[in-house]
Amino acid sequence: MTGTPAQEETARLALRARAESEASRLPPLLARAEYLAGAVLLGAHGRRRAGLGDDFWQYRPAQTGDSRRAIDHRRSAMGDHEFVREREWQIAQSVMLWVDQGASMRFASTADLPEKADRARLLSLALAILLIRGGERVGLTGTELPPRRGNPQILRLTEMLSRDSEADYAPPEHRAMIPNARAVFVSDFMGDLGQVREALTKAADRGVRGALLHVLDPSEEAFPFAGRTVFESMGGTLRHETLKANDLRDRYIDRLAARKHELQQLCTLTGWRYGLHHTDKPAQTGLLWLYGALDRAA
Amino acid sequence: MTVLGGIGFTAPWLLAALLALPVLWLILRAVPPAPIRRRFPGVALLLGLTDDESVSDRTPWWLLLLRMLTVAAIIIGLAGPVLNPQRDQSSGSGPLLMVLDGSWAGASGWPRQMEAIEAQLTRAGRAGRPVGFMVLTAPEAPLFQAADVWRSRLPGLEPAPWQPTEGNLARAQAAIADAGRFDTMWFADGLDYDGRDAMLASLRSHGTVEAFQTGANTLAIATARYEDGAVMLTLRRAAAGLEREVTVEAQGRDPAGNARVLATAQTTFEADATEAETALSLPSELRARITSFDIAGQRSAGATTLVDDALRRREVALIGGRSDREGLQLLAPLHYIEQALAPTADLIDGSIAEVLPANPDVIVLADIATLAPAEAEPLQEWIDKGGMLIRFAGPRIAASDVSRIEEDPLMPVRLRAGGRSVGGAMSWGEPKSLAPFRDSSPFYGLTIPDDVSVSAQVVAQPDPTLAQRVIASLSDGTPLVTRKKVGQGQIVLFHVTATAEWSSLPLSGLFVEMMERLATSSAAASPDAEALDGTTWTPVRVMDGFGTLSDAGTMPGIDGARLLDAPTGAEVPPGIYASGDRRIARNVIGPETELTPAGWPADITVHGLSVAPEQPIAGWLLGLAILLLAADAAASLALSGRLLKTSSTTVASALLVLSLTLAPENLGAQTEAETEALSAAAEVSLAHVLTGNREVDDVAAAGLRGLSDTLFFRTSVEPALPSGVDLETDELAFYPILYWPITPDQPRPSDAAYVKLNDYLRSGGLILFDTRDADIARFGTASANGRKLQELAAPLDIPPLEPVPTDHVLTRTFYLLQDFPGRHASRDIWVEAAPPDAEKVEGMPFRNLNDGVTPVVIGGNDWASAWAVSENGAPLLPIGRGFSGDRQRELALRFGVNLIMHVLTGNYKSDQVHVPALLDRLGQ
Repeated sequence: MTGTPAQEETARLALRARAESEASRLPPLLARAEYLAGAVLLGAHGRRRAGLGDDFWQYRPAQTGDSRRAIDHRRSAMGDHEFVREREWQIAQSVMLWVDQGASMRFASTADLPEKADRARLLSLALAILLIRGGERVGLTGTELPPRRGNPQILRLTEMLSRDSEADYAPPEHRAMIPNARAVFVSDFMGDLGQVREALTKAADRGVRGALLHVLDPSEEAFPFAGRTVFESMGGTLRHETLKANDLRDRYIDRLAARKHELQQLCTLTGWRYGLHHTDKPAQTGLLWLYGALDRAA
Repeated sequence: MTVLGGIGFTAPWLLAALLALPVLWLILRAVPPAPIRRRFPGVALLLGLTDDESVSDRTPWWLLLLRMLTVAAIIIGLAGPVLNPQRDQSSGSGPLLMVLDGSWAGASGWPRQMEAIEAQLTRAGRAGRPVGFMVLTAPEAPLFQAADVWRSRLPGLEPAPWQPTEGNLARAQAAIADAGRFDTMWFADGLDYDGRDAMLASLRSHGTVEAFQTGANTLAIATARYEDGAVMLTLRRAAAGLEREVTVEAQGRDPAGNARVLATAQTTFEADATEAETALSLPSELRARITSFDIAGQRSAGATTLVDDALRRREVALIGGRSDREGLQLLAPLHYIEQALAPTADLIDGSIAEVLPANPDVIVLADIATLAPAEAEPLQEWIDKGGMLIRFAGPRIAASDVSRIEEDPLMPVRLRAGGRSVGGAMSWGEPKSLAPFRDSSPFYGLTIPDDVSVSAQVVAQPDPTLAQRVIASLSDGTPLVTRKKVGQGQIVLFHVTATAEWSSLPLSGLFVEMMERLATSSAAASPDAEALDGTTWTPVRVMDGFGTLSDAGTMPGIDGARLLDAPTGAEVPPGIYASGDRRIARNVIGPETELTPAGWPADITVHGLSVAPEQPIAGWLLGLAILLLAADAAASLALSGRLLKTSSTTVASALLVLSLTLAPENLGAQTEAETEALSAAAEVSLAHVLTGNREVDDVAAAGLRGLSDTLFFRTSVEPALPSGVDLETDELAFYPILYWPITPDQPRPSDAAYVKLNDYLRSGGLILFDTRDADIARFGTASANGRKLQELAAPLDIPPLEPVPTDHVLTRTFYLLQDFPGRHASRDIWVEAAPPDAEKVEGMPFRNLNDGVTPVVIGGNDWASAWAVSENGAPLLPIGRGFSGDRQRELALRFGVNLIMHVLTGNYKSDQVHVPALLDRLGQ
């Protein structure tokens, strides 16, 4: 910050303006994610919010070996037997998210469909909201945002998730994974699968299990192209020219199927769960799958 | 112009460009279609894939063909193709004379004749021949000029309502006598007339003659006659032929004065007959209105026959004195008059008071001396309006004092006492005969039989005016018939009786003729020339060749004797002629006129009139080229994959655009309104009234959006986007609530819009009026907005109002509220008043209030500003200060939620007061 005070003032104002325009993006995404999360809570699981976060207890007859201090005299005074009040052993899980911010995610085949990145962020934020309400700690893989609990973390997640990456295909971030935590990777997995393999094996080494959500645009499944075409990646780094795009369709679909298969194999090996989500499907289905996957992976 | 295969080309050398098409084919075939650049993340999977064929997609043959066709259409279109090029049938040179019959017989086919002439003029112009024109019905010396000059003058030609007369033909022959050599095209109307052969011979002496003649048969209708109580119509046609049915229309004016067809008659020409007759029986009232008869579908003077007095039967009222000698018919005072008038007039009997309402044309009083004032006054009025009173003298008049000292208003002259009798046993002298009629008399020209004599009469008192009033006198100069004009009518006095007592006049034919001249009867079916002798007839309305009547203007009069004899022509054009009260129609076709088809010598070429006009088709071909180009664009897009399968909407819209360019548009507005209505009806949607003030409308929209968002998050109401409604055009029934911000300058809705608004209020809608000025004013005329509100709401059907009571259901439909702030926090909110008998029941927290929803909520708190949010969901306008401001915004939103809940659930919350009673009744 070398310059006249006036220049510094201008720079601060510009920063403020940019920050506000950035911040203005947050509420809609957050609101949509909360709305989505609210539907899950009310609908599929039927869990009452009032019960969440409270201790769960039961009384059982005291057995030999129980500490005298463990006896609940209030309950035991009602009868001749002694009872022990038992708390369920509860430890908050740490969940780490990785959402692909690469340029390839910013693709939508038609104006009606959301971009893959948009859907991925929405799903992961909604999942984060659900988990945080359930008392878990949620963060991002890597060192930028370690898992924490509480509503402010949602805001921080929203902010971090809104950042675009310049890279065409972003590799999964697998540093600083907390042992025995759980992780969620959301991406289109169009980039190098070696990186994914490395991340997953590393996670498995540390006992981290989780879910892999493969987000695809319907046109990436169907390859509805024909004629002489030059295909370019979203960042423009890759290029492929063909004279008859329709001839490539079968081979493209085969390759995509092989890639899906490989991902599934990888998941089976590492104990992860693999899910496929298309952007033309409602976000609700993706969220339900993610939530269920984490539930059962526990 | 070069003609190839029936199509002429103005620039045939351009067709050589078609040779380049095969080259173009080869070039287009060699060039592959341009690639599309497409962003696609899946490209990572494509890397390394190679195409099976190393050769690119060739442009398919059908696309090439399409493009070839396009280019060919453009080339041919630019070469100037012309359909039906006029090949010269007889290419002549030198001057050309176009001769037209120009008579009424050609009027029906006049436009076609003009087209044929124009086509021939075009040809002559292309050949560079000077053209002269001669219309035989109005011949002038032909002036040979360039064809284009004549073409501009063609629209001025009109057919004459007569055939070429001998005089016309003579002048025509004289005019061309020294015109040198020329060829002739004769556009004939298809009817023969005297002198035509001579004219043809004269034309052939100058050069070749070609004839152009329509194949249509000429129809004509002869003058209508009245026979046996029906109108007889005779139709003729030029050439006998197949059986043909014809409709005759009687044209006239209806009682309102509009021209219309009063009656129609069908008749049929038998096969091989040239004449058809039909009788049309009509009530006399209707018959009197007819002005002409037309043949339906024929537009010529010959197919129209005008109607004159011949069809008109006058109504004559006969009123006699007391006839005390019953049974002696020959002596009855009215007997001779009846005999004279009965064949030609409708007679009415009765007293004066009875006949006057029938408004007869003539009233005859036979020897009636005095009239009661109640009779005399209406009679005088009737005469003033054009009635004709004919009085006959007799013993009673002679004995009375009528018109003795002063002239009676109903008598033309003063009378001497007693009258006189001549030639009787007690008097000197012979019975007197009649003196010849003077030329000022209406009877001028009638021959006086020798045996008419007068032996007694009443005598007129000498007066200064007497000489003018005498229209017939005796040989000694004594007045016999006197007449006085009164207003538009007249009074005529015969100084003798209507019986044979005083004179032999009623016994003679002269009496009948005199009555006719007095227009007491209709003219005989065909008035003979003698009867018209000495009269002058001026044309009132004349026909043109198409049979249309027009005012005659200042055309000269015609001697009565010639009127009937002279053939119709420039001197005697067909039309209506008038002399005094009488009218005679001269028609093209008289009772004896025959129609003869025109024949041509065998060595003259006769062409029909049908012309296939030259039609340039360059425009069509170029249009086709554009369509082909459009098809090519679509096909190319489809082929190169730019036209995705998923984007069928694009195709649909392209087709729509295409169809819109070809078909009349009318689709957009309708569907737009429908979709808007559909979306409004599909979901709950809030609405605000468009005031025309952009700022206010935007804030209202943003406010309703904010309220909708709040409802969406907090309640089970999930509204769609709010919409602005235009009261004049939009349907209101879809919206549960209308937010109506008041601005001082908004226009007052139309009456139709108020009808709509009142319907809306009565069917359960709610209007939230917001004067938006609660910070500076209360209700009333204190503020401009308040005055505007009063003006706007005056025509609305609004019940009595009261400020919101503390137990109003609005205070508890969703939130418990007592204040309803918006951007301002006034407590003046008005709603429908509770019924006066609403009482608070002991133990109940609220009164048992009215059912239903208040139709209006009126306030000034500028709620929309408090609700308004930006696109991001952030508040749009600042409210208050700090935390209290946020609290006020929250309360404003709560009021909005309560209001919408009130609209949607009605008095549901009010009914909750009954819950204890219901539980009690359930036995809990």
